[in-house]
Amino acid sequence: MSTLKPVLSRTFQLILVLWAVVTILFLMFRLMPGNPLAAYIDPTFTLEQQEALIRQFGLDESLLRQYFTYLGNLLQGELGYSFRYRTPVAERIWLLLPNTLILTFSSLIVAYIFGILAGAWLAWRRASRAEAFALPIVLATRAMPEFWLGMVLLAIFSFSLGIFPAGGTRSAGTEYESLWSLYTSADFLSHLALPMLTLAIYSQGLPLLLMRSNMLDVMKEDFVTMAKVKGLSPYTIVIKHGARNALLPVMTSFAISVGYQLQGNVVVESVFSWPGLGRELVSAVSASDYPLAQGAFLMIAVVVILMNLIADLLYTFLDPRISHA
Amino acid sequence: MSQPLLSVKNLSIVYEVPNLDVVAVSRASFDVPRGSIVGLVGESGCGKTTMARAFTRIISDNAKITEGSMDFDGKDLAKISEREMNDLRWRDIAFVPQSAMNSLDPVYRVEYQMHEVLRGRGGMSRSQAKARAAELFEMVGIEANRLRDFPHQFSGGMRQRVAIALALALNPKLIVADEPVTALDVIVQRQILDQMRALQRDLGISIIMVTHDISVVAYICDRTVVMYAGEVVEDCETATLLSKPLHPYTMGLKNAFPDIASAGTGILTPISGAPPDLARPPAGCRFAARCPFALDHCRSVSPTLMSFGDDHSVACHRAHEAEALRAQAALPETWGEIL
Ligand SMILES: Nc1ncnc2c1ncn2[C@@H]1O[C@H](COP(=O)(O)OP(=O)(O)O)[C@@H](O)[C@H]1O
Ligand code: SF4
Ligand SMILES: [Mg+2]
Repeated sequence: MSTLKPVLSRTFQLILVLWAVVTILFLMFRLMPGNPLAAYIDPTFTLEQQEALIRQFGLDESLLRQYFTYLGNLLQGELGYSFRYRTPVAERIWLLLPNTLILTFSSLIVAYIFGILAGAWLAWRRASRAEAFALPIVLATRAMPEFWLGMVLLAIFSFSLGIFPAGGTRSAGTEYESLWSLYTSADFLSHLALPMLTLAIYSQGLPLLLMRSNMLDVMKEDFVTMAKVKGLSPYTIVIKHGARNALLPVMTSFAISVGYQLQGNVVVESVFSWPGLGRELVSAVSASDYPLAQGAFLMIAVVVILMNLIADLLYTFLDPRISHA
Repeated sequence: MSQPLLSVKNLSIVYEVPNLDVVAVSRASFDVPRGSIVGLVGESGCGKTTMARAFTRIISDNAKITEGSMDFDGKDLAKISEREMNDLRWRDIAFVPQSAMNSLDPVYRVEYQMHEVLRGRGGMSRSQAKARAAELFEMVGIEANRLRDFPHQFSGGMRQRVAIALALALNPKLIVADEPVTALDVIVQRQILDQMRALQRDLGISIIMVTHDISVVAYICDRTVVMYAGEVVEDCETATLLSKPLHPYTMGLKNAFPDIASAGTGILTPISGAPPDLARPPAGCRFAARCPFALDHCRSVSPTLMSFGDDHSVACHRAHEAEALRAQAALPETWGEIL
């Protein structure tokens, strides 16, 4: 099968990149100046207690031994204990990761659906009054800082109109039997609305402008002209040939955007007190909670790398020039 | 003689560019008899593609047919409604582009693009389209199982065959082929031209063969229309054009190309100079600046296309002296010293 090879080779590359990230993370937190346990060790601890702790964390071992222990633990999904919460890092991350992923994917999906449709429409209405009106607005939304946009939306929809709650993922005192029933509850969705909308408005510019310019280029291609010469229907010409080809790079940009968004989420998660990975990472770093910071870092890196792989594979599957080379 | 399939009269096509008009085709007239291959030859930029595309009426947004008529089977292609025109597209008038690579959509299998035409325009069922597609591939000498391939999986020559198969799909009356073999090497050129000739004979269709290469015209065309700077300057049977050209430009073109059928041992003499700017064409004969036989008269009065002998039209003030001019034109030094 000609499509299996790129998948295998990309997966192999992915494993290499993951290994590199893991190693860099290990070295970064080990080689930082100062005692990694400084935040953990209470000044009132006796010297013996401190040494016992250092042994307990394995910090008396050689760096190489520590490294292999760390790799072994990772393979078992073991990320260590948070200094601050004194609970397993993995537990904490699995609790927060879904919130971040839900926020990221829902906002990007809304942004891309809107952006693709509006971009194709603007390409079709090229040099019209609609374009002269819409393009500056799109550019303006791209230039707006997301925290400012978030605060404006909060001021309007939460504080003034009271339609949506101001922050968090659920109202105080609500309990759900399972995560699934939480994520599908009206309460959760109404909490999601404003941060999602903020990120969606912030992100729609890229797919919109990309789709528009791709579409303008594709509509000049010979095969589009030939579709007209063949007397095919406008739907076939614009959608099946125009949009289908213009969509290729937009689809890959989606996967890559997920990575960017994860990093950009920090701000919006903070504005809306959304308990996600980005916000957690920032607070872990400022509290010197290295295991947690390391775990959050790793998780974000894994998602970014995975999405890049998906972007590549998407291109491979969507573009026969690559999949059927 | 029966009515020609296509009769072009005084056709002018203008590109509107800011502050100026490029008259890419000016008052061109010629006929395409039924069941014949008519060559449209001239240097790059002389308006061949513009005219070829006008027969499908898919022209650039900034292009306009400003005058003239194109009578196709009793309908004036310049006047009929867009709806009527679209009915004719591909069913009666098909097109073979220069680059089949760019004219096939890279993301769909060739079969899909074949079916698009057969089912979308030909009203065939899925199974009819399947059978017809296989038949068409066989006609152009490609195995039917290659229908499942994507355009980029074909070689250049194969792709042109695919384009020809596509053009034949709905049994058109006319195929307009715009430089269909220009991008190919000479051996493949010959194979494809042979095939086009055979198919044209078997199916009784007419072909307009657009090319800048007079050896292609010599190889395959029954008649030839020579264009220079947007104008038709000579029009006659190909055999006559090659043996007794009346226009100095045609004489020059003949010297400038090797013979496609033989190895070509003769010395090639290019016509020096460049064609005029179509936005500001000169007064008088447009070829005068490059013509070794130009007289003062040529630079002020423009010659009109006139019938000269049997079934032979030419636009040159000195056509009556053609015999003598041909003798001079055969000498390379005649073409050497033009400024
Ligand atoms: N879209 C366009 N706008 C303005 N000028 C054009 C356009 N397309 C072609 N032209 C000009 O029209 C002339 C004829 O072009 P074309 O028909 O492509 O010639 P050919 O096919 O003989 O090489 C050229 O001078 C070219 O520069
Ligand atoms: S009209 Fe004069 S300049 Fe023009 S081709 Fe004839 S001889 Fe040459
Ligand atoms: Mg051309």
